[in-house]
Amino acid sequence: MIRMKGVSKVYEAGVTALDQVNLEIKKGEFVFVVGPSGAGKSTLIKLLYCQETASAGQVLVGGKDLSGMRRREIPHLRRKIGVVFQDFKLLNDRTVAENVAFALFVTGAARRDTQKRVAQVLATVGLSDRQRAYPNQLSGGEQQRVAMARALVRNPELLLADEPTGNLDPKTSVEIFKLMERANVYGTTIVVATHARHIVDSMRKRVVEIRDGSVVRDDRRGAYNR
Amino acid sequence: MRMSLGGYLLAETGKSIWRNKLSSFLSCGTTALALFLLGVAFIVRLNLGFTLEVVQQQMEVQAYLQRELCDSDCAAVFEAVQAMPGVAEVTYVSKADALEQMKEWFQDKSAVLDGLGEDNPLPASIRVTMTDISLIPGLVEEIRLLEGIDDVQYQDEAAARLQSLGAISQAVSLGGMVIVGLVAIMVIGNSIKLTIDAKRHEIAIMKLVGATDEFIVGPFILTGVVLGVLGGVLGASFAIGLYTWVASAVQAAVPFVPVLNLTLETGKDMLIVMLSTGVVVGVLGSTISIRRYLRV
Repeated sequence: MIRMKGVSKVYEAGVTALDQVNLEIKKGEFVFVVGPSGAGKSTLIKLLYCQETASAGQVLVGGKDLSGMRRREIPHLRRKIGVVFQDFKLLNDRTVAENVAFALFVTGAARRDTQKRVAQVLATVGLSDRQRAYPNQLSGGEQQRVAMARALVRNPELLLADEPTGNLDPKTSVEIFKLMERANVYGTTIVVATHARHIVDSMRKRVVEIRDGSVVRDDRRGAYNR
Repeated sequence: MRMSLGGYLLAETGKSIWRNKLSSFLSCGTTALALFLLGVAFIVRLNLGFTLEVVQQQMEVQAYLQRELCDSDCAAVFEAVQAMPGVAEVTYVSKADALEQMKEWFQDKSAVLDGLGEDNPLPASIRVTMTDISLIPGLVEEIRLLEGIDDVQYQDEAAARLQSLGAISQAVSLGGMVIVGLVAIMVIGNSIKLTIDAKRHEIAIMKLVGATDEFIVGPFILTGVVLGVLGGVLGASFAIGLYTWVASAVQAAVPFVPVLNLTLETGKDMLIVMLSTGVVVGVLGSTISIRRYLRV
């Protein structure tokens, strides 16, 4: 699903965020990316959905080389990927259902299919009764569940999450990770950059640790700390 | 989302115009001013063409014959003129005809001329119209050389003046249009920049979920087009309104001056050019801001 070969990323200011990273993630894997703040976790995630391009090396997602990708192709790649952020990134002037439907709408999906699929995915994340609410009427956990629903509504091959529970309490965080685990069971590859130590420790999935832009550990069933 | 793509486009366009009412109003206003000037230039050109046509039709060379010329000499001159190249029509106006015509012009005051009955001081003349107005100077020279001609007259200066006056007023209004048009493009661009700024967050999310550039840009382009077309309609209405008012005032004051009546037929080209200029101004304005501000 994902292959990074000798990938480096140097930002314009001269900051090296990633340095010669090699990483392979197979289809259907669940991978935690851990490490201290500023280690390069977010950059790694950003390279995978084309928010940034690598300064050197090769990034392949679903067999596609992202470095040679044209600007026009990026939207089509992103339609196969769900992305979840710490700050939810919801449209505040649209309802819960509209926020989720938006991901289908931009791809030109038929209206009838959209409604059905949105109802389904909202039921999955447990928000069927909040469809008509606006994001600012929801708790943080609920907002993140809306973001999860939006990410999952297209049955993505890959779900990327950058600190998805950074703003949530431990109990709510567990709920979000359970949703990811569920999507993973249905075949979605999951890559999560996180600081949620207790969750990484309890879930026992593959753990990739990054420090100063380099992969320093890759455990098949790892914990937050070595 | 309960709407179609078209509905989405329209709704977003409406929202962005409504959210920035003041700058939308300014955009429309400057576009309207630019297109008003374009309209004025157009109307001047239309009228000029019309007037020249009328003048050309009316433009005739009048050759006055010497008073002592006998009828057969007159006929010889008439025939000589008729044979000249480029001559469309020749009419002979006898002394008596000239007097009759003058009486017609004076109408109710024609009694003044009654005393002239026996001693008609008016010369006989030949009136010539040409197939091509540019041949007139040559014809005049030729007629002057004929035996029995007293004087030759034609309105060459009037035509030349009309032409240069039209050219100047057209240049001024077109120049003004270009300047105001550029300002309009910038004002529309600014209006759309404001919308883009306000929607930065939303645009980032749209990109994230896989919206194409066209999908994101669509509403902004349409906003520019709507502002441009509204400005165009406004500008055209002002130009037509002002012209209709001026034309009727001129017609009332000096009825013999030919004034073009602006109808759908005569104004069609003008409307098409004005509205499409509005569209171009709108597209340029929005494209400029999109290129500069949409790199999210």
